[in-house]
Amino acid sequence: MSALLAQRAVPRETTLWEWFTDPATWSGSGGIVVSLGDTVLLCVAVILTSTLLSVPSAAYLAHRRLAQVSSAWLVNMGRALPTFAVAALLVPISLRGGYGFEPWPIFIALTLLTVPPMFLSTYVAVKEVDQAAVDAARAMGFTERSVLLSVELPLASTVIFTGLRVASVQVVATEPIRAFLGGDGLGRYIRDGLGQNNATLTIGGTILIAALAGLTGIVFSATERVVKPFGVRRLRTDRGPRPGESDEADLMEVPEPGGGDHAAAGRVR
Amino acid sequence: MILLAARNPIIRWSYLVEQSDRIQGAIVEHLQLTLLPVTIGFVLSAVLAAIGLRYRWTVGPITLFAAFLYTIPSVAFFAVLRTTALGTSIFTVLIPLTGFTILILVTNILDGFRAVPAAVREAADAMGMTPARRVITVEVPVAVPYMINGLRIATVTIVGLVAVAGIVGRGGLGNLILEGLRRQFWTPLTIGASLSILLAITLDLAYYLLGRWLTPWSRTRRA
Repeated sequence: MSALLAQRAVPRETTLWEWFTDPATWSGSGGIVVSLGDTVLLCVAVILTSTLLSVPSAAYLAHRRLAQVSSAWLVNMGRALPTFAVAALLVPISLRGGYGFEPWPIFIALTLLTVPPMFLSTYVAVKEVDQAAVDAARAMGFTERSVLLSVELPLASTVIFTGLRVASVQVVATEPIRAFLGGDGLGRYIRDGLGQNNATLTIGGTILIAALAGLTGIVFSATERVVKPFGVRRLRTDRGPRPGESDEADLMEVPEPGGGDHAAAGRVR
Repeated sequence: MILLAARNPIIRWSYLVEQSDRIQGAIVEHLQLTLLPVTIGFVLSAVLAAIGLRYRWTVGPITLFAAFLYTIPSVAFFAVLRTTALGTSIFTVLIPLTGFTILILVTNILDGFRAVPAAVREAADAMGMTPARRVITVEVPVAVPYMINGLRIATVTIVGLVAVAGIVGRGGLGNLILEGLRRQFWTPLTIGASLSILLAITLDLAYYLLGRWLTPWSRTRRA
């Protein structure tokens, strides 16, 4: 178990500046470079997996207006699952199976954390696409497949992408619990700092994690602008609800036909 | 391997009886550490939402600030406060947990009041209601389902994060989970983790039922 292997001890008197500027902090198996790599690798794997699991299925179901109630229930149930507890529960099972402490328990728990919000934002986004646009496409002879792929998905893409960004930041912010589950990653510095009562390590680790979470948000916001479909970019942005507003919305509450009126009522105020 | 599994099973049922006081204590602490931040968070969010509704330009900054609080990695937030003068006091846990609820609650409260149709508000005014009376008798009932929904999401989220607070020694059932991991003794881990999942699901269901009970009209509206 790597957590038990003693790392080069960092004396308590070491200041943050000294710690960050010491080359030994960055290199080696417990160094920042390797830990950052571990964290990024796991986060990317989780985000890709949950995107593949949630976006296509949610888009298809929303297009067909299928499983509205059952997906609302699934999303709500999924949201109730505490990530840390789920990961911890999987640790002994993973060890029994001979898969070790890592990476399956934390991978599965983080995936379960991100699938519900991503599924929800995709479902709501596709469902809320202006029905007139969909009808127009059908009238022009689009197949159902084209309606979904060329009309609904591009129009929903802004909201889907916002959901992806929120979920990804969430993954990066939650991943450090891995260090307390027998793994490493950037959370190791916080774990070691708490264990050795060493504030420098704790705060140093916090800075690294916060920086990565912030960077994730920025990267996604930048990518969002680049990948936005050309036609969607030309739409006026002040139409309809702002993207991201439906983040925490309930599947069963939000898609009221009066959705547009709420925005109008807000403006009248 | 088999011998090892026999000595350290996923769960040893006798532990439930032997350590029942500890387990009960952990459940109580977990519940307190969940309900206290959600309650404080709700009061703070109600104030913030009221400010946002009164002075509309403040909605942006308030949401931004709440979103910032929400994205602070939980492990880091707890650990940093642990290194300050707060130490292992309850505030080290309460402050982050309360902070995490604000975004969810403010957004839902604001959504609730925005859901009041303008015509309804005007009708209330035309009936001669004072603004305070209109808010209490007309707008709040419309906003209640949104508030309950916010409380529901916030509570369930916090149940999960309380377990993480175990890393600074105040995590209710999270303490059992971490003890199990540290000693590689699976019984407390399994009990702590299962009970916290059960707690989350129970509270989720409780809010669902509370929402149905408080707003009987929303049941008929659905159709």
